[in-house]
Amino acid sequence: MIVRLCAAVALTGTLAVSDAPPNSSLESARSYWAFQAPVPVTAPAPSSPWSRTLVDSFILRKLRAEGLEPSPSAAKERLLRRVCLDLTGLPPTPAQAEDFLTDDSPRAYTRLVESLLASPHYGERWAQKWLDVVRFADTDGFERDGYREHGWRYRDYVVRSFNADKPYDRFIREQVAGDELFPRDTDALIATGFHAAGPRHVTSGNQDKEEARQEVLTEMALGIGQSILGLTVQCARCHDHKFDPISQKDYYSLESFFMATEIEDREIASAEAKATYDRALEAHEKRLKPIKDQLAEIEAPFNDQVRERKRAALDPEFRAALELPKDGRTEEQVRLAKEAESQVKPVWYEILPLMPEDVRARRAALRQRLHALALEKPDPPAAAFAVDNRDEAPEAYVLMGGDYRRRGEPVQPAFPSAIGSLGLEAPSGPEGRRTALARWLTHPENPLTARVMVNRIWEFRMGSGLLSDPNNLGTLGGTPTHPELLDALASRFARDGWSVKAMDRLIVLSSAYRQSMEIDQRKASLDPGNLWYWRAHRKRLSGEAIRDTVLAASGRLNRAVGGKPVRIPIEREIYDLIFTEAEPDNLWPVTPDRAQHDRRSLYLLNKRTVRLPFLANFDQPDTMTSCAVRPRSTHALQSLSLLNSDFMQEHSRALAERLRQACRPGDSDCQIESAYRFALARRPTPAETRSAAAFLASDAARLQDFSLALLNRNEFVYRP
Amino acid sequence: MSLSTGRSCRSAPRAATRRQILCQAANGFGALALQHLLAQRASAVPDSNPLRARDPHFPATAKAVIFIFNVGAPSSMDTFDPKPMLNKHAGESMPASFGSVGGQFTDGSTPILGTPWTFKRYGQSGLPVSELFPNVARHVDDICFVRSFVTHSVVHAPAMYEVHSGRLFATHPSVGAWITYGLGSESENLPAYVVMPQPEGTPEGGTSCWSQGFLPSVYQGTLLRPGPNPILHLRPPEGMTRQRQRAMLDLLQSMNESDAGEFDSEMQARIAAYELAFRMQMHAPEAVDLSKESAATKRMYGLEGDRTREFGTRLLLARRLVERGVRFVQIYSGGGPLSMQWDAHKHLKENHEKMAGHSDQPVAALLEDLKRRGLLEQTLVIWGAEFGRLPTSESGNGRDHNPHGYTMWFAGGGVRGGQAIGSTDEFGLHAIDRPHEMRDFHASILHAVGLDQHRLSYLHGGRHEKLTDFGGEVIQGMFG
Repeated sequence: MIVRLCAAVALTGTLAVSDAPPNSSLESARSYWAFQAPVPVTAPAPSSPWSRTLVDSFILRKLRAEGLEPSPSAAKERLLRRVCLDLTGLPPTPAQAEDFLTDDSPRAYTRLVESLLASPHYGERWAQKWLDVVRFADTDGFERDGYREHGWRYRDYVVRSFNADKPYDRFIREQVAGDELFPRDTDALIATGFHAAGPRHVTSGNQDKEEARQEVLTEMALGIGQSILGLTVQCARCHDHKFDPISQKDYYSLESFFMATEIEDREIASAEAKATYDRALEAHEKRLKPIKDQLAEIEAPFNDQVRERKRAALDPEFRAALELPKDGRTEEQVRLAKEAESQVKPVWYEILPLMPEDVRARRAALRQRLHALALEKPDPPAAAFAVDNRDEAPEAYVLMGGDYRRRGEPVQPAFPSAIGSLGLEAPSGPEGRRTALARWLTHPENPLTARVMVNRIWEFRMGSGLLSDPNNLGTLGGTPTHPELLDALASRFARDGWSVKAMDRLIVLSSAYRQSMEIDQRKASLDPGNLWYWRAHRKRLSGEAIRDTVLAASGRLNRAVGGKPVRIPIEREIYDLIFTEAEPDNLWPVTPDRAQHDRRSLYLLNKRTVRLPFLANFDQPDTMTSCAVRPRSTHALQSLSLLNSDFMQEHSRALAERLRQACRPGDSDCQIESAYRFALARRPTPAETRSAAAFLASDAARLQDFSLALLNRNEFVYRP
Repeated sequence: MSLSTGRSCRSAPRAATRRQILCQAANGFGALALQHLLAQRASAVPDSNPLRARDPHFPATAKAVIFIFNVGAPSSMDTFDPKPMLNKHAGESMPASFGSVGGQFTDGSTPILGTPWTFKRYGQSGLPVSELFPNVARHVDDICFVRSFVTHSVVHAPAMYEVHSGRLFATHPSVGAWITYGLGSESENLPAYVVMPQPEGTPEGGTSCWSQGFLPSVYQGTLLRPGPNPILHLRPPEGMTRQRQRAMLDLLQSMNESDAGEFDSEMQARIAAYELAFRMQMHAPEAVDLSKESAATKRMYGLEGDRTREFGTRLLLARRLVERGVRFVQIYSGGGPLSMQWDAHKHLKENHEKMAGHSDQPVAALLEDLKRRGLLEQTLVIWGAEFGRLPTSESGNGRDHNPHGYTMWFAGGGVRGGQAIGSTDEFGLHAIDRPHEMRDFHASILHAVGLDQHRLSYLHGGRHEKLTDFGGEVIQGMFG
């Protein structure tokens, strides 16, 4: 993130900074296509029966201009699995597969798509994407990496919004200014967790408050720029943007929309719920008390012993100061006594070695009981990890070189000049600033908001964007492969009520989407990167989708939607990576309800500094910066995770068990067929049946190995 | 192995030849069949191995790097940067001319704390080292001290991120990830970038310290632990014999073959990755098996001493890894509870004697061992931390954090030893002569491994990101 580097650079002042007004080249840069309103292009007349939706007419015209032809439609069973994974992140259930594959009517595919768009898992799939973009995680990051008790409500809000097909302009308005615009709407308040989704440095000691505040403001401006506007506004934090018409003043004017905005937990619980909680907490503390008392009793003599030993070892001046009566100390002795107190304070790792074995064991057992009881601690009254306005909005300034100590001219909230105010005004008081920003972002004449989102949708469904970086519509983001298609989609999106589901429908029903993935050597030589969509993109599933798909295949997937994040058991090696200076015996309190461990990956607690290796290995983003498109790499650690991890062992065993349940004993044909149905939603070919049968015949105990092989197969982990 | 060739916000994948994919894929049991299958494929598979060993931009002086990071921050003025003024003025306030310069928990108003240790001069160069490091001291003629490093936070995590990645926030790839991205792997059977934290816990910055950031996960630091199961998920589950696993893999690979389109390099790369995983299961345990090391070597690293055994084991492993082609070894002295960090806010004497007691002999042994084997000249050894400590006291007998001027040192890999570059003021508070920031630190490391800091870039967020960003200065006089 450039912002960060700007901060580092600024401290040494080696970068030349300028607060000069935008020059004439910036003026000309404003004529850049992305800053002009989308032109509502009409689709070329369908020249072929291949054209099913307006998408196809544009795609086909371009293909032909490039001397290419589209690929035939993918086989029905592959299309089934593809569209299920794309729209819900889950493979088809056996029933879904049965319905679709036996339905020969021309409407079969449309019906399938409609059922998927109506599925509660549709919003989960979208949420994963949106959370990548807003760099959401359940903890703060940095050394303390504290858990955000109420952060998950924003995640659920996103799921709900996509499921409800909330108009995208409303979705943006709620996230940017829901607290101001819809003051009685709890969901709109939760939505403003958008501004708090990124990392935050919370630490003890001498904090430079202004510096910390500046970081919060930066994250907020960044969220708007990358997620909604698709502009690298952060580049203008230290200097005028080098490539786009964004001046440093534009940047700080954007930041100043947030001068009154503060991140905080905002209670949304009823008075009754709070009273219930207070009573429950009291009862809970009562259960803990006897254990805590016992622990204190056990530790007391050892604490005394350590204290005494350290006291004896104090330098004479410190000991003398400590031994003086409190009111008889000089100023110097007050300091010495305070420092002496700090020196003699016992720490857990000092008392443990002094304890006899049995005492230590008794203490450990008590602590385990305490930790077990802590899992039953009542949930705090519901709150939104969201934002609020302070009573005053401090004056904002251009900061030279991004350095908060080097103030330039004062600035007021103002809209980026490349686009202009669109007739809106930004208030100067603390209230309503974000409202103005939200209105501007979702103004029908804002040239970026709709384009950015339709490009995201397109990239999400088609496997590559019309613009390669959905977070950057600036000049370095390149030009669209299909500018007219992008504009046609953007204008339609804004005109027809900002419905994401309508866009999804338009794309997945197209012939372009339904193409097979086969690589034709002639076409590949003309367009090796498949820029013109002569075939469907083959892409490895995300780590989250792989995990979810394994759970679905083993029959163990818990399809519950929403709720608190789940801590699944982690490997010892990963547990040891959790940083703490405290006694490390309760750093990862695993969610006690075993059924929760089989929830979708979206619901697993995502800790910024300690990530689950299964997901991290498959290029899960680090949530420190916005991720528009996940990188995708292939390496041996992925293979090791998929072969040897406890998770894969458990679920290949579960799949094998599922096969045994589904078939008569020894009926290997049935087992093979069922395995293909559960894992790949299709029947095996005769050759596949033969090789699987040969494998199974060689050793009766190998049904699990066969299951594991299927779950590792290319076809299983790739979008079909 | 591969990076996808789709148009996401990444730079183009590095090239690999078909032959290399073949070689990688062709060492296992099922190799023959696989080789046959692959050989039938024509030349059209695009290059796809992101870990292929690549030539540096210019001749390198180091092939490998071992970065010993001392978590919590050792005090420079008590180890390698003597300040006689401290003991002369112990108990007094810092002269007013220094202003009020504090750390995270103190404000500079506490009295000056003298050093509890004496310094002696060593080697032909006569460079001073305190009693804390009598063994490392014997190697000063191979060591280049830089006494004027500066970081920009008084808090551990951000300063650690700055030392590892050049940024105060965990947003960028670590130097190990950059080098792996730039040079690929020399090892056929081991990860290129290996991380060995303190068993008691990680640094404050957590795993983000060795993160690959926005680079693809293939460039991540791989955690390695001593013992029979050095890499996560390396060991097949209980009861899975090698033969049985091979049979399963043969079935898998035959299915993968039929799934891989004829020209689909990513699918082919996935097939190769399974073969590498299979080989890694065999070779990684060998790499960490110390039973073949001589008793003298083990003794030298301190494997027989209670204080030195743990760290000595990891440093011995570091040598074995470098010997086997591992490119970058990141190793931590300290981590987790305060008792196992260099973070001496109080009880400086006890703390540093304990921590140096763990590491002095092993670090010296590493230098000695690398040298004897002819590896030191091609291995850059770095000893560093996120900052140093203040000349003033905290809690009476400790020191708070000092990012304003501190020492790190370098040996091997083309470094000219027996010299000290830069200096801090008479109390060790600020770097005054030739202050060097992390961009210079990183530029120098890249220079040693033959990478041009301005050419090693990766397109992210609409920008060609680089480790040193606008560029640092290769520290003058450090090499040659």
